[in-house]
Amino acid sequence: MAYLTQPDYVRYICTCGQLKPITSLYFCRHCLKIRCGFCICHEVDSHYCPNCLENMPSSEARLKKNRCSSCFDCPSCYHTLSTRASLVQPRQQEGAGDGKVENKHQKKMYYLACFNCRWTSRDVGIPDQPVASGGWPERPNPFATQINQLLEYYKAIALQEKQEKIEKERKKFAIRGKYLTLTDKTGLTGAMARNIAGLPSSDSGSSSIIAKFVPSQASAEVEELPEDYFTKEVNLNQITSMPQRLLSPEWQPTDVSRLHPIAKLLSVKRSQRCRECDHNLTKPEYNPGSIKFKIELLAFYHIPEVKIISYEPMKAGENSTVLLKLSNPTAHEMTLCLMNPEDIPQVDNEEEQLENSLEKSLTLDKESAACKPAAAPAWRRAAAPCVRAVGPPVRVSVPQRDDAAEYDDDATHDANDVIVWRKANKLGVRLQVATEAAASRGGAALLALALQYSYRNTVPPAANAPNQRNHILYTTALLSLGNVA
Amino acid sequence: MAHNIKILPGATVCEDCTLEGDITIGGGTVIHPRVSIIAEGGPIIIAEYCIIEEYSTIIHKKSDKQENPPKPLFIGAHNVFEVACKLESIYGHVGESNVFECRSFVGEEVKVGSGCVIGAACTLTAPQILADNTVIWGSEHHVREALEKQPSQLLQLDFLSKVMPNYHRLRKPNVHKRQPSRQSQEPSPKP
Repeated sequence: MAYLTQPDYVRYICTCGQLKPITSLYFCRHCLKIRCGFCICHEVDSHYCPNCLENMPSSEARLKKNRCSSCFDCPSCYHTLSTRASLVQPRQQEGAGDGKVENKHQKKMYYLACFNCRWTSRDVGIPDQPVASGGWPERPNPFATQINQLLEYYKAIALQEKQEKIEKERKKFAIRGKYLTLTDKTGLTGAMARNIAGLPSSDSGSSSIIAKFVPSQASAEVEELPEDYFTKEVNLNQITSMPQRLLSPEWQPTDVSRLHPIAKLLSVKRSQRCRECDHNLTKPEYNPGSIKFKIELLAFYHIPEVKIISYEPMKAGENSTVLLKLSNPTAHEMTLCLMNPEDIPQVDNEEEQLENSLEKSLTLDKESAACKPAAAPAWRRAAAPCVRAVGPPVRVSVPQRDDAAEYDDDATHDANDVIVWRKANKLGVRLQVATEAAASRGGAALLALALQYSYRNTVPPAANAPNQRNHILYTTALLSLGNVA
Repeated sequence: MAHNIKILPGATVCEDCTLEGDITIGGGTVIHPRVSIIAEGGPIIIAEYCIIEEYSTIIHKKSDKQENPPKPLFIGAHNVFEVACKLESIYGHVGESNVFECRSFVGEEVKVGSGCVIGAACTLTAPQILADNTVIWGSEHHVREALEKQPSQLLQLDFLSKVMPNYHRLRKPNVHKRQPSRQSQEPSPKP
């Protein structure tokens, strides 16, 4: 809960250099690296309506413009609309029987109502429906034909460009004749040459659409404003607000009486994938009603969690004590060592950087280069830590997580100068830190703390891979310890 | 303060609520427990078929501008006061079919028309007149105008007046419409 409601006091440095709280990080079990939302692949698994939880294949979702056909949002306050029933007596026919007979013919009619702002579909004159869901009149888009024309036009252009590309490829590899042709010399493509020559092009279907297309014309003449435009008193209750208009871009109603229920936008279930090894980091269950995951490699379950218990005010050039809580979320005992980030052995990093420069020389995409630890100094530029741990590195062993541990009360008390207390898979640690003498007063006191931890890989190794199960991993966390006093 | 509470037949008024001053409660109205209705500035008249929910407060405030004898605060029919709403008024009239949603606050110099909705947690303090069918909602106090009055809560009223006596002690109606002559002769009993 603290992670949701409080500022992020402890931020981990992702492999890509981003600073994130542990709850928004992932841990790839195959690369043994921390990943965050910026350095992983997001894939859409399925579309569903967040209101009625109906699943929809992506083709259907595209056809319906990513909107649900039976759920609506309020055009006035954007809250979900609810269906309300009302009993309506059908119009009394002349010369009809007595009231008793009439009562039997009472009909249920449905309308949409918003419980937040009390907008109803009756407000704008949408007739009540005899069925509870669906069947609401759709308002035609006034520019439907133009949009379809544009879509067709751009599809045709895309097709043509694709064909030209294929043609080019083919030409590249085609055995060239002895003589240079005109098109080779001038860089004209066959299609363009044909066009210039006024000949019908080879692919008539798409080019006819392109030829027929008439671009819209801008005109200088604009309809004049009504006479009383500047003198008429404005009734703000009758005019829609900007967000209300932009919510339905097709109509952009200026009048409250033209508001129309907005079909609810679909949500997606997405799975996330490591960019380096292509393994899934998260994969949700298919059922939209379920919030569980099939695969869920969150950092919270794999890397040691650091929390701040308390700290003394940090004074520039002086030493102070910080109390930290360390917990081991894994099912294996963990050896933890707290040290300064400079003490992380550089072997790994150099290798990475080598790989990185290799990649750069191969002119691979910039994105993956940005994800590399070469960007690590980026966080230093953004947030320079002015507090560092002093004294020998704190080395502790943290037992594995045990769900039954809370029922034991014979806690082992091996408290000493460093370990303050110990309880199941958590322990309190006292850490001596020093603030830089040059730290400016009032500036944020950031402590950069490197964690060395042992990690047991539980992934069954591939047949040809060496069966290495125990790893020593490093991660760095930035702790905000208030301001420098 | 002189307590002069008139409860018309058909009204459901729980015993566990604070009624102070000169108050008249119309038939069909349901008053939940823990409600405070304080008529310090003048009498309060609540018309028929209102629902006043738990912890709501209706105060007729004392004011220097008050006429003598004080004008009553008249609350029209079919008003709904939801949980913990507060109405402080020196104006003589609240229309009908209004909804005061949970924890809303309507200050002294607000004149409420008919068919208005004051949304949950909305506070109105500035002097203003709410036109009929005004709806106020949200933390930013958006205003819109509804086309028609809010539907009446007759089903809910029916249910409440049936269920309430099973679980709460009620105040007995002490005014009998049929014998207005007798009532005027007798001082109404003190609760």
